[in-house]
Amino acid sequence: MNYFPDEVIEHVFDFVTSHKDRNAISLVCKSWYKIERFSRQKVFIGNCYAINPERLLRRFPCLKSLTLKGKPHFADFNLVPHEWGGFVLPWIEALARSRVGLEELRLKRMVVTDESLELLSRSFVNFKSLVLVSCEGFTTDGLASIAANCRHLRDLDLQENEIDDHRGQWLSCFPDTCTTLVTLNFACLEGETNLVALERLVARSPNLKSLKLNRAVPLDALARLMACAPQIVDLGVGSYENDPDSESYMKLKAAIKKCTSLRSLSGFLEAAPHCLSAFHPICHNLTSLNLSYAAEIHGSHLIKLIQHCKKLQRLWILDSIGDKGLEVVASTCKELQELRVFPSDLLGGGNTAVTEEGLVAISAGCPKLHSILYFCQQMTNAALVTVAKNCPNFIRFRLCILEPNKPDHVTSQPLDEGFGAIVKACKSLRRLSHSGLLTDQVFLYIGMYANQLEMLSIAFAGDTDKGMLYVLNGCKKMKKLEIRDSPFGDTALLADVSKYETMRSLWMSSCEVTLSGCKRLAQKAPWLNVEIINENDNNRMEENGHEGRQKVDKMYLYRTVVGTRMDAPPFVWIL
Amino acid sequence: MAKEGLGLEITELRLGLPGDNYSEISIWGSKNKKRVLSDMMTSSSLNTENENGVVSSAEDESLPVVKSQAVGWPPVCSYRRQKNNEEASKAIGYVKVSMDGVPYLRKIDLGSSNGYNNLATVLENLFGCLGLGVAKEGKKCEYIIIYEDKDRDWMLVGDVPWQMFKESCKRLRIVKRSDATGFGLQRD
Repeated sequence: MNYFPDEVIEHVFDFVTSHKDRNAISLVCKSWYKIERFSRQKVFIGNCYAINPERLLRRFPCLKSLTLKGKPHFADFNLVPHEWGGFVLPWIEALARSRVGLEELRLKRMVVTDESLELLSRSFVNFKSLVLVSCEGFTTDGLASIAANCRHLRDLDLQENEIDDHRGQWLSCFPDTCTTLVTLNFACLEGETNLVALERLVARSPNLKSLKLNRAVPLDALARLMACAPQIVDLGVGSYENDPDSESYMKLKAAIKKCTSLRSLSGFLEAAPHCLSAFHPICHNLTSLNLSYAAEIHGSHLIKLIQHCKKLQRLWILDSIGDKGLEVVASTCKELQELRVFPSDLLGGGNTAVTEEGLVAISAGCPKLHSILYFCQQMTNAALVTVAKNCPNFIRFRLCILEPNKPDHVTSQPLDEGFGAIVKACKSLRRLSHSGLLTDQVFLYIGMYANQLEMLSIAFAGDTDKGMLYVLNGCKKMKKLEIRDSPFGDTALLADVSKYETMRSLWMSSCEVTLSGCKRLAQKAPWLNVEIINENDNNRMEENGHEGRQKVDKMYLYRTVVGTRMDAPPFVWIL
Repeated sequence: MAKEGLGLEITELRLGLPGDNYSEISIWGSKNKKRVLSDMMTSSSLNTENENGVVSSAEDESLPVVKSQAVGWPPVCSYRRQKNNEEASKAIGYVKVSMDGVPYLRKIDLGSSNGYNNLATVLENLFGCLGLGVAKEGKKCEYIIIYEDKDRDWMLVGDVPWQMFKESCKRLRIVKRSDATGFGLQRD
């Protein structure tokens, strides 16, 4: 390769798109590093505090597409205070100043303000694609700026964000000349929607492939929208209200039949289940079905719908489907690759909605299954052993038994052996979350067998520091480790400081690590930011007595090349 | 401004500490922090009772009883949790109640409440504010209660008949009288 001119090498590099591969390429030699950095258009930054925008732009001046992640994963579960950080404004300001030709921005768990959206919309002439996942801090006014100013907007994809809906007219801010939309997802908006503006927008967007509506879009509007967008591939139904008048319903059925490209269905935020049959004619084409927000769809209506979906690859559902329903899935959906079963009752009402039987049935019936998220009431080692045997191809395995520390409900043993079987059989496992009663033994298995594991979520598990040490020593590819309510302390934390160089981050909350342990770690590893998040007491911990031995409530550490961040709130102490 | 006696009582509030769990709930100033109280019962508050703080083996006698109420458990993302809560309380007429200076919201069942007096008592108990709804002669109370109606306007509680209030109230807020200029007036 060294004998080829740079242009040829660059052309070859164009075929390499995965950021992991490109990172690897840039390490081969100085010449490849240089060629790679000038040709890289897409950059992925898993932790926005690991680097700053100035350094990013110095290295990749031709940046067109940026993905940024902010808060740690456990922020999803209210474990990280709202003002912790993850602000996107400094990034957008820096990108705007540098006049880089930004076209795509994907943000996850970041704080986005209307001001930053406005700046974004005005600073990049070719801006095409905005994807916001689990973000917060903005309102529909910010969306209005995007709509009004981004002339070539292709994607506006809002997934599970907390958006203050000002009931404004953001949809009518799209100019009449805007005809380039491919993705429009506003399902998470709570307020009313200007239906006229929406219909006109959809009608003038011939490339629209993905449309996800919010609760405020009723059935008759849906019928009209589908009628003017028969090319739709991905549809999120808003409200599917009770007692639609028969004319709207007829129109809807007719429109649905014409949507022969429809492959993905979601939404049904408020649904009259008996209307689901309108979708039966296109079910045989569906590859993705997300009914996890459709609390009103269960029982026979749900089963009937699923029985039509023989080509399903992805299914997100509530546990109200029950073990019997999962058996139907297992016998119908032979192409299933990803399954998520969410709890419908978060208050622990004790409905035995799904159990280990459903999981075993799925594993037996769906040989292509590689990703699972399963919330259930109970589990057994025997079931997990069977699942491991049936499905050795898991890449992601997340099992959440709703009651912490629950043992195998038949033998009363810990679930170490069951999860051990999973990690032993699934040689490609990259992500694991376990639950139930677990001792240090399960971590021994994980350290021994989970060679490809990159992300591990631990809660209410383990007995001693040995557990955490097994994982740190054994899992060579570990990137993100998050631990809560487990008895791991300073010994495990400090055993191998260099390990954290190869990891993106470590989260430990309600564990046994002490302040002095964290301080020692910060001293040994100046290239780490060790953050102590202490909500209970705005004062510094050292003002209390016995400061060294005091246990730290929440610790979040991550490697960084830019040192301590300047935007931390008072309750975050960076050692 | 003359008001019916019943209506005025509800606006007589006093500042008070919010409930028994105050020491375990962090207050750090954000008014808009969205947390559901059932999520706030922390396993870390249980930790202060247990030496070990962590429940790991079956022999451990000091297992916290209310495990299902640990913060962030089960691990369902907050967006989904919110939708789930909305579904669960939709049919019953639950509304959220927030109080200025308190970073967590509460929910009350308007459907099972039978009048403004009862509402006052419920709010008293929820936020630990004594004297809520009890008229003090000649005394202006520091707090008033306002509610968001179907048109998303903020109205002063107590103006309309109870039934009408129940049907149109979407959420409640307890605010300082001094902050409340203009509240209760219909926006043009």
